[in-house]
Amino acid sequence: MRERDSVADMLKYVVKRVLMVIPVMIGVSIIVFALMRVFSPDPAPIVLGQHATQESMEAWREANGLDEPIAQQYFSYLAGALKGDLGVSYYTKTPVAKEIGARFPATIELAVAAIIFATIFGILLGVIAAVKKNTIFDALGSFIALIGVSVPIFWLGILFIMFFSGVLHLLPSGGRIDVLLKPADVTGFYMIDALIEGNGAAFRSALVHLIQPALALGMYSMAIITRMTRSSMLESLGQDYIRTARAKGISEAKVIGKHALRNSMIPVTTVIGLQFGSLLGGALLTESVFSWPGIGKFTVDSILKSDFPVVQGIVLLVAVIFVTVNLVADLVYAYLDPRIKYASKREG
Amino acid sequence: MRRESRLIALSLVLALVVAALAGCGTKQESTGGEQPATGSEYADTFTFAQGADPRGLDPALVDDGESSKVIVNIYEGLLKYADDSTEVEPCLAESWEVSEDGLTYTFKLRQGVKFHDGTDFNAEAVKFNIDRQLPPKVTEDMGYAGFVFGTVKDVVVVDDYTVKINLTQKNTAFLANLAMSLAAPMVSPKALQDNNNSVMEAPCGTGPYKFVEWNKGENVVLVRNDDYWGEKAKTKNIIFRFIADNSARVLALTNGEVDMIDGIDATVVDQIKNGGCELFEAPGMNVNYMAYNVTSPLFKDVAARKAFSQAIDRQELVQSLYQGYSEVAETILPSFVPGYDPSVKQVAYDPEAAKAGLAKAGIKKVHVIAYSNPRPYNAATGQSLATAVQGYLQKVGVECTIDIFDWTTYKEKVKAGDFDVAFYGWIGDNGDPDNFLNLLSDPDPTMNIARWQDPVYIKGIKDALAMPNGPERNAKYAELEKYAAEQAVWLPISHAKMLAGYRKGVDGFVYHMTGNTFLKNVTVKKAE
Repeated sequence: MRERDSVADMLKYVVKRVLMVIPVMIGVSIIVFALMRVFSPDPAPIVLGQHATQESMEAWREANGLDEPIAQQYFSYLAGALKGDLGVSYYTKTPVAKEIGARFPATIELAVAAIIFATIFGILLGVIAAVKKNTIFDALGSFIALIGVSVPIFWLGILFIMFFSGVLHLLPSGGRIDVLLKPADVTGFYMIDALIEGNGAAFRSALVHLIQPALALGMYSMAIITRMTRSSMLESLGQDYIRTARAKGISEAKVIGKHALRNSMIPVTTVIGLQFGSLLGGALLTESVFSWPGIGKFTVDSILKSDFPVVQGIVLLVAVIFVTVNLVADLVYAYLDPRIKYASKREG
Repeated sequence: MRRESRLIALSLVLALVVAALAGCGTKQESTGGEQPATGSEYADTFTFAQGADPRGLDPALVDDGESSKVIVNIYEGLLKYADDSTEVEPCLAESWEVSEDGLTYTFKLRQGVKFHDGTDFNAEAVKFNIDRQLPPKVTEDMGYAGFVFGTVKDVVVVDDYTVKINLTQKNTAFLANLAMSLAAPMVSPKALQDNNNSVMEAPCGTGPYKFVEWNKGENVVLVRNDDYWGEKAKTKNIIFRFIADNSARVLALTNGEVDMIDGIDATVVDQIKNGGCELFEAPGMNVNYMAYNVTSPLFKDVAARKAFSQAIDRQELVQSLYQGYSEVAETILPSFVPGYDPSVKQVAYDPEAAKAGLAKAGIKKVHVIAYSNPRPYNAATGQSLATAVQGYLQKVGVECTIDIFDWTTYKEKVKAGDFDVAFYGWIGDNGDPDNFLNLLSDPDPTMNIARWQDPVYIKGIKDALAMPNGPERNAKYAELEKYAAEQAVWLPISHAKMLAGYRKGVDGFVYHMTGNTFLKNVTVKKAE
């Protein structure tokens, strides 16, 4: 009986959170639509080039509906977007969905690699720093975290390239894979595709290309996770139940791993979820430095070229991801902390 | 139990991965991984790195250099440029005749040429390609259709391998237009029909390389066309890689990941040379100039313009601003453009005469405007140029006030005309002298920023455009250039060189003054 109740509560909570995505998306789409049209330069001369004439620019604007009132433009865009039609890029004349689809797996692959790196090392460093509080390990962990939060990604990226590629010649300076080894496109994630194909050389090539950008991108998140883990662990370690556990003669590893760590993970999980969203933003800089063929650099280029349909498409996509990741983080949060019952969210 | 063991397992996997990597260097990166046929001393892959993706690979629908560099290896036009100048040569057309009245061009086409999709190249294909860019079919987003085919009346198929193009007016530059990498290259009509009239991502031409794939944001891969009508390409695979960051691109070169790069400036030259790579320098098809506003009361007289120009030591200026990567411009035309005449000289540096002349003309204060961005013809920015000129004029007792604007605003200011002296430049389109020299006859002040409207010069430009190619036409342009120099309307400053970096062992590329890289004969010696 109680089980069923909690499942129903959970379901209700999920449905509610999913429905909340709709107003968020409408808000985001209105803001990006208006911002692009107010602050971006006229796309017509950019699209038509240096031999554009007044007439050709007007004809082009008309053909692309830019002469209509902005509200009308918005509603026809929304109508298309609901049908899955995000329009055609002004600059490359290719459907936006296709342009994004060609680049999106690269960004996700990079962000996932970065968050895995950040999570593993962040928690590890945080736990060590907390357990060995006020020792050299703690100082070292805090120092690494300080560097991670303070150093700008693009600068760190260039340093990495100069060291690992320029001096050591160990890793490639940019790109995603050795193109002649590229596996057949199944998922769009080269490492997974290489495994599906059983192509070891391709897998290795994809991996060595991924290391530097993932490290550079994940550094900031790692630092945040380290700090959060450390402070949360310290709090847990000072709790009565830890003393009780120790008094019961449970091994120290178990005390830290099971009792302290699990309880410290609640705020850390939320931070990881938020960090994943911000990684998509950080990807913008990392992708430029490492010539990583994702949507980050493409977004900047499209903004500079006033390519409205592309920018709108990407912003909507990123908003969906951000909202989804936060939703997942909240659900995991609820799972990790048995005290949080969905019932408590009923009124909220 | 479950949670910590999972964490430990993950850490172990990561440690394994790191350990595995320590053992595997990236040696295979250098030539793209595929092992060349044993016994050959040459690699079978050549990698070229540029700053950005092509806009697309349909020559009628793009207008940018990044697209153009890829396009010239896939497509060909009726004519082409000589390797070391902008003289036109036969390509898909073996010969051509121009009618007496200069209005009909008849081309004899090369026989036995096939597009990459196996269809025949013939007169119908030529007609299809040009008709596509003429009214009523032309669309407003075909950036170069008007420039290249604007004077075409119609195209007539005479027989399978003869095609007649009728013009609405005499236009000798039309031949140079046909050698351009934009609008002019011939696309397979079948490919266009199959792809809804846009081969942006499915290019199909007659060139020495065939398109394989385009990984957006990453690279374009081409493979040798083994059915090519001429001498086959020497290297099997060509990869165009896109590396946006300048220093990352240089590092990819010195690290051996790519064989050649472009889009570089003087600041990275040392890095390239110290990295054991070579620098390629060639004259560029551009001009960087200073213009007098001849509608300003200060500079309506040629004597005043001359005196101002005499104050400026261009040799010293160009050397200090561009450090050897631009040449002093004595002519508006770059030296490889037909009509260039080395005997043309601009007003020479003579500070004493300048002082006297400016005093006589009563010039004490001059309003100068300049742009703050680097431009392809002026890497040092218009601002540095203006400041240097200000220094020279100060020495002869003239005060220059400089207003600086970003490039977009600057163009508006130039158009508005509130200045005495301004800086500008031009990047050539088709290598015909008309493309440079008609600027000074153009009634549009955004083109002709000096606002000079001299009937003698305007008539000369009109006549020269109608003259058939040859020594007589070239002499006419030399004469016009001399006239412009005497009138001292512009002071040409410099022609920026084109720079590329390449690895030792790379040979046979043609880095053309139009900014295109022809890779048919490129070879890469395998690294020892």
